[in-house]
Amino acid sequence: MKVHQIMTKDLTSMEKDTLVRGLIFTLDNAGMSNMPIVDEEGKLIGFISEKDLIKAALPGYFEMLHSTSFIPDMNQLVKKLAQIADDPIEKYMQHDVICVEEDDDDLQAADLIIRKDLKSLPVIDKERRLVGVVKRIDLLRHLL
Amino acid sequence: MIITVTPNPAIDKMYWVDRLKMGRVTREEFLTRAIRSDTSAGGKGINISIFLARMGVENVAMGFVGGHTGHVVVRDLREEGVTTNFVWVNGETRTNVTVFERERAHIPILIDEEGSPVSQEEISYFLRRYKRMLKRATWVVLAGSLPPEVDADLYRVLAEMATEAGAKVLVSAHGNALTNALHAVPYLVKPDTREHLSMEGAPLTTRSKIITAGRRIIETGVRILVVSHEVTGDIVITRDTIWEIKSRVKTTQFKNLVGADDVLLGGILYMLDKGEDLEEALRFGMAAGILSAESDKKICQNTEKIEEEMAHISLERI
Repeated sequence: MKVHQIMTKDLTSMEKDTLVRGLIFTLDNAGMSNMPIVDEEGKLIGFISEKDLIKAALPGYFEMLHSTSFIPDMNQLVKKLAQIADDPIEKYMQHDVICVEEDDDDLQAADLIIRKDLKSLPVIDKERRLVGVVKRIDLLRHLL
Repeated sequence: MIITVTPNPAIDKMYWVDRLKMGRVTREEFLTRAIRSDTSAGGKGINISIFLARMGVENVAMGFVGGHTGHVVVRDLREEGVTTNFVWVNGETRTNVTVFERERAHIPILIDEEGSPVSQEEISYFLRRYKRMLKRATWVVLAGSLPPEVDADLYRVLAEMATEAGAKVLVSAHGNALTNALHAVPYLVKPDTREHLSMEGAPLTTRSKIITAGRRIIETGVRILVVSHEVTGDIVITRDTIWEIKSRVKTTQFKNLVGADDVLLGGILYMLDKGEDLEEALRFGMAAGILSAESDKKICQNTEKIEEEMAHISLERI
């Protein structure tokens, strides 16, 4: 089966100058955990996840810790999040986007989602325009 | 690609009852039990999107959604195969209730919510997405009411942007949203006359009044004007011709009128997008709308039956 046959046909995406607070609002309300970033032509140029935002809001030494219980104070996280709320998402997005083309095989999408531990994967056409997303649940639904 | 814009979508909640007990006389009459009920994503543009998707036409539905009901709208559309591209807003997408009484289904009772307000910031955000989508658009459908606090000029702005991008525009609306949109000279216009039988202040109550008002619109450059005249008939005005389209179906055969008018437009659009001539498109649209009204389910699609029904549609030149 091809990716376009199993993907969720949703074009919810943002431009790189969108503010972090706008991104959080949409992720929260739309029930998404990440967001494709597109240019004015609708071409995929980046990707940002909840994880990227949490990482951006945590103290610099976080990655050296094995557990969040080492963070001395949650207020630190809240304060940092408030500080980045009016930053453009470009500052925190991933520029090397893992994605698939609409005519790729579903197995390729499944392989990437499993190996890279992704919740969803943007789908693009030949011109790199966003045409949908493949979520873990899309794969599970079609495997059933 | 066809893009539909429904700024104020809805959940259509439909109930079929024996009789709606409006005057509560006795304790027993507090309760009306529904014989049947149904729920579906709704709003004029969304209905057109669903019809087109069922006809196998790729299309993108845009607009504003919010809250739990917003999720229901988006989920329904995706299940129908419509591509979604909505802006999420504060507040809840509205719910519109229709009650059909036994043997009076052709005169349903409608309770439409106003919808949640949409802020200027959300409109700006939508405009950027819309501009991006126009690069892929052949037709743009602007349909339905506007949410509270939204400028009545929205459809004019969207129609001008679409025309500039080379897309044809279909507008189905009422009131100031329609009046303003006419300044952008859309390709096809259908005034929503469910509440007010008027357009730009001119009455649309009789055939001659529809023709007089319609000719004035056509003179501005609008190519096709479709006006509901009777439940089973419409008047269509172009620069060269005026038609009265009629169906032989009796209104008492109708079971579900919700969305039937939008299916009519969806049918016309489907045929025009395929390159068919206008007469065939009108016949097809009317047949599709009638079939939809005759079926229990909202937005009926059965190409074979629509083609059969086309034989019973008369197109008379006035």
